[in-house]
Amino acid sequence: MRASWIHRRDRRGAWFVAPFLLGFLLFMLVPLGYAVYTSLYTYRIIGGTSFTGASNYTQTLENGLFWNGVIRVVIFAAVQIPVMLVIAFFFACVFDLGVAKWGTAFRTIFFIPFAVPAVVGAVMWSFLLEPQFGPFTRLANTLGFANTNFFGPSLILPSIIVIVIWEWTGYNMMILYTALKSVPRDVVEAAILDDTPLWKIIVRIKLPMVRPAVVMLVFLNTIGALQLFTEPQILEYFEQGAISVNYTPSYYIYQTAIAADETNLAAAMAVILAVIIVAISGISLIARRRRKEFA
Amino acid sequence: MTVTTAPPPSAGSAGAPPESRRQRRRRERLAERDSEIPVELYGLRRGTVTVLTTLAFVFAVFTLIPIVWILINSTKTQANIFETFGFWFASPFEFFHTFGLLFQNVDGYGTYIQWFGNTALYAVLGGGGATVLSALAGYGLARFRFRGSRPAFYMIIAALLVPITALSIPLYLTYAKAHLINSIWGMVLPSMISPIGVYLMRTYADISVPRELLDAARIDGAGELRIFFRVALPLMVPGLLTVLLINVVATWNNYFLPLLIFNVNTKYPLTVGLGLWSDRAVNSGDASLYPMLVMGGLVTIVPLIALFLILQRYWRGGMLLGSIAN
Repeated sequence: MRASWIHRRDRRGAWFVAPFLLGFLLFMLVPLGYAVYTSLYTYRIIGGTSFTGASNYTQTLENGLFWNGVIRVVIFAAVQIPVMLVIAFFFACVFDLGVAKWGTAFRTIFFIPFAVPAVVGAVMWSFLLEPQFGPFTRLANTLGFANTNFFGPSLILPSIIVIVIWEWTGYNMMILYTALKSVPRDVVEAAILDDTPLWKIIVRIKLPMVRPAVVMLVFLNTIGALQLFTEPQILEYFEQGAISVNYTPSYYIYQTAIAADETNLAAAMAVILAVIIVAISGISLIARRRRKEFA
Repeated sequence: MTVTTAPPPSAGSAGAPPESRRQRRRRERLAERDSEIPVELYGLRRGTVTVLTTLAFVFAVFTLIPIVWILINSTKTQANIFETFGFWFASPFEFFHTFGLLFQNVDGYGTYIQWFGNTALYAVLGGGGATVLSALAGYGLARFRFRGSRPAFYMIIAALLVPITALSIPLYLTYAKAHLINSIWGMVLPSMISPIGVYLMRTYADISVPRELLDAARIDGAGELRIFFRVALPLMVPGLLTVLLINVVATWNNYFLPLLIFNVNTKYPLTVGLGLWSDRAVNSGDASLYPMLVMGGLVTIVPLIALFLILQRYWRGGMLLGSIAN
């Protein structure tokens, strides 16, 4: 009797989860299913919509422009994420150890960009880097780098990297700082009593203990970087032609769906991008699970 | 300022007079100080603290440059934004004039204040809804074991991996089919679905809501819904605030989805509206939009920065990640 009471009670738990699951079904699973369905069809002016199977997929996979964008975001991620994480970890350590003055104030300042929407961040930096009047362009010219164009072909990607580093370093630092705070004090005290130099305490004791947080950040930032969209799109408004239609996969998908109105093809591209990202994050998840870093 | 001795660490225990806000701040500061190892013990050379402080200062300058720029340039005319030195003021002082323009539909591209209202509406409904649904689901998954509860949980974990872009395009295609383009619910309802919120609330409910307490309430004859609201929810408040903050910010900052699903400027949130203004200012030769774009950017970031500074205590980066990573 008691068992059935518990069973009946436990079944009521489903009602707590039901509202979320309903929304999850309607606004995640159904759209994803519909996107896959749509991607199997093609619209032609003559003949209307017809089932074409995998043709949108083969078209995308054979499209050099698409892969061009994929390679670009991979390069972007390979530069932006390490640079940002090194800066974030460095300052997280400095503030955790209390070896710089006014740590609390600096931490608050560093975190401010997280409160700034990417659109506004990109608009502000576009004004600053603008090729004719931007203060940074003028500064570069004054310093002897004549005709500096931060939106030109060679500097546009570094410019985007700087903007994204500006937006996300504080957030990453905050997470690493919180992780560092949980390193037991007696471990560090023991090291100090052994006369271990500071850099060794950081690299040999602190870094290994916050490794799970670092791995998690690499993974979250990679997913974000592969979807790069807002910053290049806003920069393109400020300098027409600064980026190409295929600059990033997300931007290419957007152009295909909205500007070119090829929704079926865009659906296939979105599915492929999702598969690439899920594969990357899935691999990292499995790797971490094997090392028992993910409960 | 009359208190000179440190309050005992047990301040706030039952029976003690309620702490004032200042007292609590001081106690927290002291506890923080206590956990830090004195700098001298690291055996650093004398100049190291100065060097590290200088480096932090340099990065702080980098962080504040755009913010300072937008503050200063919100006071300038369109010509002065481009022609005068970016980091100092120039007359005439146009701040209030430009601010007033945010309440008008100047060039027919839309009214800033309406976008602001839309963003607030989407963020409050989406973020609030996400918090409620996450709390319910997180509690249900943490404290009940029913058929399908494990698959449901794994599905939510899997959903953490699905990128936003990959979801926004399918939503756009579905709305186009279901005639939901330009519907605010097309923006609000998906914003309520937060797998990360459910994950965090499940973790939080698991730590903070003791089973014994729930069983005690059941023996007293309380219904499950009543138990949730009266017993479990109050214990989950710090976690709820974190989830609320994450989701309000995510909805406030969302650009891609509203860009796709709205094509009338009366429905735009701030992000899409400001994006439109930058396009029109540069590419339609509507230079009068530049000061409004600068002012609009400033007014967009001020409430969020204020919110963060006020709610800093509830913003637990550690919870966001620590719960996942540990």
